[in-house]
Amino acid sequence: MDIYLPIAEVSVNWPLLVLLGATVGFVSGLFGIGGGFLMAPILIFLGIPPAVAVASQASHVVASSTSGVISYTRQKAVDYRIGGVMALGGVLGALLGVELFRYLRLLGQADLAVALSYLVFLGVIGTLMLYESLGQILRRVRGEITPHKDRRRPLWLYGLPLRMKFPRSGLYISAIPPFALGTFAGVLSAIMGVGGGFILVPAMLYVLRMRASVVVGTSLFQIIITTAITTILQSGRNQTVDIVLSTILLLGGVVGAQYGARWSGRFRAEELRAVLGLIVLLVGIQMGLELFVRPSDLFAFAPGVAE
Amino acid sequence: MIAALPPPPPPIEAPAPERSTATTEQVRVAAAMTDARVRVDSSFRGASIVLYGAVFNPTDAPTDVVVVVRGPDSPVRLVKKTRNMGVWLNSRPVLFEGAPGFYMTASTRPLGDIADFGQLRRLGVGVDHLRINAPQESRTVTRYGVRDVVVSRLGEDYLDWRRAVIRLREAAALYDTDSDGVEFVDRGLFRAEIDLPAVAPTGQYFAEVWLFQDGEPVSVSNLTLTVEKVGIERDIFEFAHNRPWSYGVLCVILAAFTGLLASRIFRRE
Repeated sequence: MDIYLPIAEVSVNWPLLVLLGATVGFVSGLFGIGGGFLMAPILIFLGIPPAVAVASQASHVVASSTSGVISYTRQKAVDYRIGGVMALGGVLGALLGVELFRYLRLLGQADLAVALSYLVFLGVIGTLMLYESLGQILRRVRGEITPHKDRRRPLWLYGLPLRMKFPRSGLYISAIPPFALGTFAGVLSAIMGVGGGFILVPAMLYVLRMRASVVVGTSLFQIIITTAITTILQSGRNQTVDIVLSTILLLGGVVGAQYGARWSGRFRAEELRAVLGLIVLLVGIQMGLELFVRPSDLFAFAPGVAE
Repeated sequence: MIAALPPPPPPIEAPAPERSTATTEQVRVAAAMTDARVRVDSSFRGASIVLYGAVFNPTDAPTDVVVVVRGPDSPVRLVKKTRNMGVWLNSRPVLFEGAPGFYMTASTRPLGDIADFGQLRRLGVGVDHLRINAPQESRTVTRYGVRDVVVSRLGEDYLDWRRAVIRLREAAALYDTDSDGVEFVDRGLFRAEIDLPAVAPTGQYFAEVWLFQDGEPVSVSNLTLTVEKVGIERDIFEFAHNRPWSYGVLCVILAAFTGLLASRIFRRE
């Protein structure tokens, strides 16, 4: 039941990969996230080189986000205007990120960059999500009323030039913050292989204060463009995209995502967020842990010589 | 009646093979492979080659056969993890100018029993005596904008790096020592099997078949073989490396199409 992955150059059990794709797809459908952050660590654990895992699952994110955007478009829940500005930033970010990743890989530091960015970003986001959602659950149990949140946008958003109207999001702000946000997500997609939804969604909600109904659909649209560019750049510059790997993951992933989405209605939003926060935090810690554990072999091959 | 018959034609005498005279006097080894061209099916298991040979031994002293198969040389980059402030970090990559991409020995007995250390070192037989190219002095080279340190043959950590190359390659089944890989199927006739893993490099391989007697090499037979890779996986690999941009675009189209298809299928349900 083993299949040889031509780019990763390892043999893996393919039913296991389909199952992995389905599980991650289910989780991503359940929580409304891309699931990339969960996929890469598991692939690395299965023995796939980090550089290949990160690049191949970028194309997996393209597929899962495509089906997401289609259903959000039907509900008119995608703001293509602000999404386009963010995607432009995403393209720039992907260009920068892939070049950075290429350089780090040649230096033999790609593994470190992957582990460190997982530890930092997932650690911070997971902690914040867990803290916020647990607080909300506690308040509900005690019967307290959720304190009224400050709904004003940060003032500096209005001080910047290049203001644009984004009617669907209910915004009239400078194009620079969404562009910068997109750039940041692009860099992350190159280094971590994630769509960046876990950064984009909170930032769009709490910093840009977009209309909540369009946030997820718009972030997915931005993610498609960014990860598509990342996939092309990763294969063009690093030759690390394994089409066999990403296709197998897709087969399970798309099915899992649909079932996950159907299940998500059964849980309260803050409970889902608490579980997701816990998963995010654990994945971040698990990825960071390898930096502190003595490796079984101190030596490793580095890529970058002609075969 | 009998006298009437024409005289029988003189018997055709086959020209004596050159070797037959030599065989009677000296100890020799001859070998051949079932295939001079090996196609590694990159899908699952790689390939295996069978090498056959004969030992001509007119003396009473026993002989040992050692088969050495060496793949094409290529540079090797390595990193070493070191602990800095509690965190394990990779060092700067170091470069070996050339190490065989494949190296295997098969013999009738453990190599150490067949010949002594000096003899094996001189012939370069056995992974411990494998020649890995390294210059006398360490220097740095710049490739793709990254400065690599080239390992020096005289440097104090040379042996550590060298052992690491061998250990990592052994783990990938690219280097192997099989101390009973040569088996005699009949008196003087032996066979050895060489397993090429799917990751074995392509190109020209060299096989040496050594015959040892009393710890001394008495004869050698040289063979070459060409290793090619075939199969759909290989085609994908070639495509990804030769036309990386088209490959990337294809990956994206495929991914987007799958997503589209999935949303279609699940909408109808």
